[in-house]
Amino acid sequence: MIRILYIEDEKEIGQWVSKDLTERGYEVTWLESGDGLEQHLSSKDIAILDVMLPGLDGFSIGKRIKRANKELPILMLSARTAVEDKIEGLNFADDYLTKPFHPDELVARLEVLLRRYQKSDDVLELQHLKMYTKDMRIINTLTEEEILLTGKQFYLLQYFIRHLNQILTKEQLYEGVWGESYIEGDKTLMVHIRYLREKIEINPAKPMIIETIRGIGYRVKL
Amino acid sequence: MKFFQSLLAKYMLIILLALSIVQISYMGTAMFVLGITKTGVGEFSSEVLLESEIEEQWHAQSKNLPNVSNDAITQLFQRWQEQLPTASMFWVSEDGTLLTTVNVQEDLPAKWTPAFTTKFIKQRYGGDPFTVIAFLGDDVSNGFIVLEVPRNVFNPPLINIYENYGNFLFLGVIAIILFFIVVSLLFFKGIRKRLLHLQDAMEIRDVDGLPIEINVKKKDEIGQLEHSFNRMVCELRESKQRQQKEEQLRRELIANLSHDLRTPLTKVRAQSYSISKEALSEEGKQALRAMETSIVNIDALIENLMSYTLLMASKYKFEPKDINVIRFVREHLTTWYPVFEREGFTIDIELQAFEHHEWCVDPIWLGRILDNVFQNVLRHANSGKYIGVKTESTASYTAFIIEDHGNGMKNESNAKGAGIGLSIVDVMVKGMHLEWDICSDPSGTKIIIKHVNQSAMLGQ
Repeated sequence: MIRILYIEDEKEIGQWVSKDLTERGYEVTWLESGDGLEQHLSSKDIAILDVMLPGLDGFSIGKRIKRANKELPILMLSARTAVEDKIEGLNFADDYLTKPFHPDELVARLEVLLRRYQKSDDVLELQHLKMYTKDMRIINTLTEEEILLTGKQFYLLQYFIRHLNQILTKEQLYEGVWGESYIEGDKTLMVHIRYLREKIEINPAKPMIIETIRGIGYRVKL
Repeated sequence: MKFFQSLLAKYMLIILLALSIVQISYMGTAMFVLGITKTGVGEFSSEVLLESEIEEQWHAQSKNLPNVSNDAITQLFQRWQEQLPTASMFWVSEDGTLLTTVNVQEDLPAKWTPAFTTKFIKQRYGGDPFTVIAFLGDDVSNGFIVLEVPRNVFNPPLINIYENYGNFLFLGVIAIILFFIVVSLLFFKGIRKRLLHLQDAMEIRDVDGLPIEINVKKKDEIGQLEHSFNRMVCELRESKQRQQKEEQLRRELIANLSHDLRTPLTKVRAQSYSISKEALSEEGKQALRAMETSIVNIDALIENLMSYTLLMASKYKFEPKDINVIRFVREHLTTWYPVFEREGFTIDIELQAFEHHEWCVDPIWLGRILDNVFQNVLRHANSGKYIGVKTESTASYTAFIIEDHGNGMKNESNAKGAGIGLSIVDVMVKGMHLEWDICSDPSGTKIIIKHVNQSAMLGQ
C-alpha cells in the first residue's frame, strides 16, 4: 500500500483529500503543520505539501524533506498560482498542482510521480502486455512469452512508462533517452520506435500501445 | 580635503619647481665655475691676464737683461714659458739671424730680411697670437726677442669654461628641461590613468545591473569625485531595493489575495465532490455540473484578473530570450491535446519548421498567450469541436494560426469572461513585439500570432 504524507492546515480540505485518497486505497498521514515531520519521513512513499502553513511554510518543509530523503517525491498542492511560486516550488519539488483541483488530477499526478520514482510495484497492463515496472519485464499475455528488448528499445519504453499518458515530442524523447540534443530531421528515433513497435505491437502498422499523435509526438496511454 | 592633498597643490609645486630649477641651475653653474677656478683645475687661472701687462713686463725684462747671452735669453724664455705654457718665443739677432726659439710652431726663416720683418710686424699687429717685440737691453745691436701668446689666454675664465665645458652645460640645460617635461608628463599621466580607471569602473555593472563602488585611494579632487560616484551608486541601490520591495509587496499582496480566494473555492469543490458521491437526482447532478463549471470559470477569472493587474502595473515578470518557438508550441500542445481530446475535438496540428525558428520571447508569456487562446476555444467554440494549430511562413513574417469552428466572436457563447483573457493576450503580444490578428465569422475564428521578420521590414 502506498503511504502518503500530507500536510495541509485547512481542515475541510485536509479531511476531504485524506478521505478521498484513503477511499482510493492509499494510506494517508495528514499533518496540519510541519511539526513532528521527521518521524514520518522514512516510512512514506510520497509527500503532498500545502504552501501557506502555520510556522514553517511548505517551501521550507519541502527543502528539508529533500535534504533528509532525496528519494521521496514531493507534490506541492497550493492556492498560490503565481509563476514565481511555481518556479520556487519546482526548484525542489517534483510537481506543483494549484487549487482548486480535481481529486482525479491529484491522483493521476501522484501515480506519475510514484512511477517515476519506481515506488509502486504495479504490474501495468497495456493491451496484451503485462509489464513489471520495477524490473521492466514485459510479458506478452497472448503467448505468455517474455519480450526481450535491446538497450535503446528498453530505455525508450521505460521513458514512455515513466511518462505514462503524457504526450512526448520527438525532441523530448530523443533527449530523454539518448541524452543529446535532437537535430531536426534526425531519423534515429523513428527507426527505434519502428523496431520497438515490431516487438510489442500486435500489428505494427496499426500501433495500439505507442500511439502517434499527429503533429506533436507519441504517447503510451494506460 | 586639505589644500596640500589637492591636485592643484601638486601642480603648483611642479610649476614652482620648474621656475626654481632655472635659478638653481644658474647657481649650480656659478658654483661649478667657482669650484674649477678655485681648485685651478687644468689651465684655468683666477687671474685675468691683460695684454698691456704682458707687453710691459716683456719690454721691461728684455730691457733689464743684464748681459745678453744665449744662456740668459734661454733662461728668460724658460721663466716666461713657466708662466705662459702656450706662449712661443724666439730671438732674432741684429743681422737678422734666427737664434734661440722656444715652442715655435710656425715656419720662420733662418734669416730675417727687413721686408720679412716688416711683413711679420704688419701681420701680427692686432692679430692672433698676441705678439710683443722688444729689443734686448738698451742697445738695438743685440737684436730683438719676440713673444707670441695665443689670444685665448687673455680670455676671461668663464669664456674658457664655456669653450671647454659648453657641451656639458648645454646637455645639462636640455636634461633639466627634459626632467621638467617628464615630471609634468608623469603628473598628467597619473591623472589621466585615474580618470580612465574611474571611467572603466563606472562602466562595470554588478549582477543587479548597477555600477559597483570604487575603492577610493587618494583624497584629492578625483578622490572626491569617486566619493560622489560611490554615494550615487549607494543611493541608486537603495532606490532599486525600495522599488523591488514595493514590487515584492504588490506581488505578495496579489498572490495572497489569489490564495485567499482560491482556498474557499477549493472548499466548495470539496463539498460538491462529496455531494457527487451521494445518490442524486438528475436535477441534482445537473446542478453539480453547473457548480463544477462555475468553479473552473472562477478559478480562471481569478488567475486572469491577477495577471491583468500585474501586467497593467508592469509588474509581471518579463524575461525574454531566444527560444525555438516551434518546439515550444509543440511541447505546450502536449498538455492541451488531452483536454481537447476529452472534449471530443478534431485536432489538426501542422507545425512546419520556420527558416528562422528562434523568437525572442518570454516562454512563460508565450505559454500564457496560448493558454488563454486555447481556453477561449474550449469555452466559446466548443460547439465547433475543431481546433487547428498551424504555421505560416512568408517573406515578411512567420506566424502561428489557431483556428476553431465555433460560432465566432460576435455570437458570444454563454460563458463570459473572454474579454480579460484576450486583453492579457493583447498586452503580452505587444509586450513581446509580436503582432496578432483575429478573423472571426459565424463559421469560426482564426487567431494569428505573427513574428515580423525585421530584415524584411528593413528591406521594404
